[in-house]
Amino acid sequence: MLNTFQQRTHAMLPTATHDESSRQEFAKSLKQFVQEALLPGLQPVFTQRAAVRFSEKHGHAPADRREIRSAMLGDPYFQTYASTNRISQELMWASVTDSIDRELPKLIERAKSFSASARAQLKIPGQFEVPRYISSLDIHCMPGGYATEVAPDDVSVAALYDRGAYLYCIGYCGPDNDDFGVSVCNYVKRNLPGFAPRRILDLGCTVGHSTLPYKERFPDAEVWGIDVGAPLVRYAHARAAAYGLEVNFAQMNAEATEFESGSFDLIVSHILLHETSAKAMPRIMRECHRLLAPGGYMIHADLPPFDKMDGFTQFILDNETWYNNEPFWGAMRDMDQIQLAVEAGFAREKVRFTTAPMAILEAAAKAAAGYTDEAATAVADRDFTAGEFAPGGGWEVLVAQKSPEARL
Amino acid sequence: MRQDSDARPRVVRHAKGKRPKFSDVGGVDELMSMVLVLASELCVLRDRVDAMERVGARNGIDFAAEIEQLPLDQAALEAREARRQDLFQRLYYLARKEAEELKSQETTDRYKAIIDEIAKP
Repeated sequence: MLNTFQQRTHAMLPTATHDESSRQEFAKSLKQFVQEALLPGLQPVFTQRAAVRFSEKHGHAPADRREIRSAMLGDPYFQTYASTNRISQELMWASVTDSIDRELPKLIERAKSFSASARAQLKIPGQFEVPRYISSLDIHCMPGGYATEVAPDDVSVAALYDRGAYLYCIGYCGPDNDDFGVSVCNYVKRNLPGFAPRRILDLGCTVGHSTLPYKERFPDAEVWGIDVGAPLVRYAHARAAAYGLEVNFAQMNAEATEFESGSFDLIVSHILLHETSAKAMPRIMRECHRLLAPGGYMIHADLPPFDKMDGFTQFILDNETWYNNEPFWGAMRDMDQIQLAVEAGFAREKVRFTTAPMAILEAAAKAAAGYTDEAATAVADRDFTAGEFAPGGGWEVLVAQKSPEARL
Repeated sequence: MRQDSDARPRVVRHAKGKRPKFSDVGGVDELMSMVLVLASELCVLRDRVDAMERVGARNGIDFAAEIEQLPLDQAALEAREARRQDLFQRLYYLARKEAEELKSQETTDRYKAIIDEIAKP
């Protein structure tokens, strides 16, 4: 099944020339190839060659992901796989930066004009400290990271993320890149009957691609997205307006927001926690508990913990830590997230891990370019494979409800 | 892509964070990235040819079919063969250089000797 998924264009996306768009397609195709054709080879390379060499040297088989890594590091197949993967990431960003660099002044003006047309709020304080887990490295090798501004009212890194994240997911996140948000919304609608959130908060919202589905599916709710990157929320606000949706955005830190206690019924995050830190994660959980109204839900869609996976799967997943500027990727999976939620104030019986089925089939139903029924079904039906840019089947979600009897 | 000297703001091109090494052999990581960049440019060019064929087709010229049926006369055969041989010459310039050095007995010792000789007052 050929993957020909295409991002649906919207007014805030940078436009690419023929050759720029061809380079973007190349990067996306290379990622597809790495995942489909190079990644599966790591298993036989490990069992037939690397593990044998390791055992001869150490007198025992590699026991955990750290020993597996040390066994694989010198293997030429692994080196080809890992370096190709890294280069695909670098070429992906480079293929998008050209368009943005060319169009930057226009993009900034367009964002201003869309934002001015919206009734929804955009809050960007003059003084703001970007946390070190965001500023010390450019996460997933994205040049500039989430918060760099190269001009007044800059949106460049946000435009880069909007297009780059689509290519990174090889289109598996849907034509609007909103599969995470849509999947969690579907989970809420199907599993929490009667729950009608009036205020919804999306933490670490980046460009608001996962935030918008909440406004679409809960149109009467007041929806907020917050992020530590000013260019992100600026772009997100304009992007929402370009989609014709009134969604509020603010530059705030999820560890300590400026919202009142008990002021949200539903707090969500999508692939946020693994980009924070061991110090920040407990604070974010506590802040969620503080912000939730009694009976409200917190749902984090992120990476499943390591404890239920074998060492080889852990090793594959941990490659992101070492090769993709994802310093917290591995450590976060070692944390007991249920315990963190309990320590934040949630009752243990109200906290659980579950799976929200991927909503990609809806993208096929909308007949977006490349999203045929066949291709979308192939994604929705497959099993989880470590190291793929989008896992098959569903997203792992941590769900916790604040006690309905809780006092604010 | 070209960084002009004008004053307008430019986007960030490099990601902060030390790039890992993959190969123990010096230069191989760089070579690997160059090969993939070239592969990317090859794809871009192929896409552009594809685009030209499609634009032609939209305007009533079936480039793709005509290309398949194009008879190659003697001049065309010679031009293409010359271009291919020229490409091989460029592709194997280091191997040819090595053979030439052996033929003319260009050695590292001789190179060093020339440096010394030239430097002598």
